[in-house]
Amino acid sequence: MENRLVDRFVSLIFAGIGIALIVQSRTLTHSAYGSNVGPNAFPTLLGAVMLLLSIILLVKTFRYKRILEKTKSLDYRKFAIFVGLMILYVFLFEPLGYVLSTFLLLIIGFQLLERGKIVYSIIIATLFSGIVYYVYVSLLKGTLPPFPEWLVF
Amino acid sequence: MEVLDFLAQGFATAFQWRNLLFALFGVIIGTSVGVLPGIGPMSGVALLIPITSSITGGLSPEEAATSSIIMLAGVYYGAMYGGSATSILINTPGESASVVTTLDGYQMAKQGRAGEALSISAIGSFFAGIMALIGLIFLAQPLSDLAISFGPVEYTALIVLGLATVSGLAGKSMIKALIMTVAGLSLSTVGVDTITGVARFTFNQPILYSGIEFLTIAVGLFAIGEVLKTIAERDYIHGNLQKINRILPTKKDLKDSSMPILRGSILGFFIGILPGAGASIASFFSYSVEKSVSKDKGQFGAGAIQGVAGPEAANNAASGGSLIPLLTLGIPGSGTTAIMMGALLMYNVQPGPLLFDKHPQVAWGLIASMFIGNLLLLILNMPLIRVFAKIIATPPKYLLPIILAIAFFGVYAVQVTMFDLFLLIACGVLGYLLSSNDFPLAPLVLGLILGPMLENNFRRALTISNGDYMIFLGSTMAVVMFIITILWLASPAVFKVLAKNNILNKEDIHTED
Repeated sequence: MENRLVDRFVSLIFAGIGIALIVQSRTLTHSAYGSNVGPNAFPTLLGAVMLLLSIILLVKTFRYKRILEKTKSLDYRKFAIFVGLMILYVFLFEPLGYVLSTFLLLIIGFQLLERGKIVYSIIIATLFSGIVYYVYVSLLKGTLPPFPEWLVF
Repeated sequence: MEVLDFLAQGFATAFQWRNLLFALFGVIIGTSVGVLPGIGPMSGVALLIPITSSITGGLSPEEAATSSIIMLAGVYYGAMYGGSATSILINTPGESASVVTTLDGYQMAKQGRAGEALSISAIGSFFAGIMALIGLIFLAQPLSDLAISFGPVEYTALIVLGLATVSGLAGKSMIKALIMTVAGLSLSTVGVDTITGVARFTFNQPILYSGIEFLTIAVGLFAIGEVLKTIAERDYIHGNLQKINRILPTKKDLKDSSMPILRGSILGFFIGILPGAGASIASFFSYSVEKSVSKDKGQFGAGAIQGVAGPEAANNAASGGSLIPLLTLGIPGSGTTAIMMGALLMYNVQPGPLLFDKHPQVAWGLIASMFIGNLLLLILNMPLIRVFAKIIATPPKYLLPIILAIAFFGVYAVQVTMFDLFLLIACGVLGYLLSSNDFPLAPLVLGLILGPMLENNFRRALTISNGDYMIFLGSTMAVVMFIITILWLASPAVFKVLAKNNILNKEDIHTED
């Protein structure tokens, strides 16, 4: 079940990160006051270890037995929609305020997973966003984005 | 005995009404989170850190730290128990440590003995918790005393050993786990260097100067990652829920389970102390022990109560045991304890040998709360089993978006930056992609938490020796630890092989508890 292509690709990425760590560390100062071990020593070492490990992984991928992959049918469409939904949520978080944006996140989320029972969805989404906002902001004096100005009653 | 005085004080702390309430709340939330499919103890604890920090906002730092660690520990035990409940009732382990419980637990449920299975698992967990408590009391002080004599060289060796053992046992591939560990360590170097004040890997972005927040990473990788995984794998469509008839176990059940519980507790405790070998390994181990000592092996897999009692006791004892390296050495032995360490650090409480001197209230309060937490679990779960079973029946279509909302709320409440919300999404996607390709996430979090400690000790050692790396071979203790590390990495993970061969060749034995 080891996926050769993915592992090869990922090992190259990590090798790249290892090299980047070493290269970037060279721009840091090499010594510290009262010590000749500067802030570059540890990241350089990490970069080297990372590079070594990813090379080992890369070599190992060539020894994977070819296994007929049991392809689990994955719901990438819904996965992508949910990632998009979260990004949208974060963009609307401050402009719309906590209650409205969270209400939308929940309603859309509920309906995406299973259509129907819209009344339940609305009740749960309203209760969750309203209660969290009230308890956190009014009782605990925390900070969450307020309702937008054009909506203040 | 001095220890008993401290313990008495610990109980006094834990019995304050506020802390009792926190423990109760933690256990209830933990159990509810534990019964949610896919959301294990790690996500539960990570999700609740911001909530505890906002509730404890008005207290003094020491009191706040005590109360929140008590609550988080409650969440941990509760989630472990909740995970078992789903194993028994719907044949779906809530987390890896209760995979074994499905073998006999679900069979028992099918025979109409779900209530007995659930209550024996609560009883087993309770006794195991007590056992771990006793072990902690006796081992805490000597281990702390030992650790105090450690210099930077020994500490470096100890942290390397801790990281290596955890990586050795997490997931299927040790190389992948090590890569994740190094990735976590590397992430911890982002930000302003505490020794020299030099900004590292910040790309002139002021938001990165204070480093990458551990909470965002943990919540993203685990909570968001798990929700995305559930969505991608269409895991939110449920199996059948088994009915609960009677709740109390019969006398025969109790008699049959008493020895497995005892064995499981001792075994689990010692496995739990070893860093890396967490609750999952302990439960597998206990199952194979029970199977091999049983006279009637055919019963196993067909609803043997011993097959529920032993592993359940073992996994709980291991969770207790895994607190020992955290409290005494400052090195978490598992993903969940790493997250708890992160929570303590947020309150400026540094776990480790000095914890017992500097913050005795926190250390002993937590130890005493283990007793209370386990007692609460026992009292609560007997009558409330049916209620928790209801939670399992809640349609996940409501739960998954709510978990997302809680994750965003938690991170925003603590960080109050948009940057962290975007980072949260990125970590969620990465968490899903990495874990679905067998790159375990627990080592990354461990590396992120232990990175600063490792780097400080490493640099202090090198400063003492004026840059000479041979200093790491100058201490016998350190050399021994390095040798163990190398042996550990070189040999195939013994526990894993033993545990796996004996039971089943399922691939889903991870130690991400």
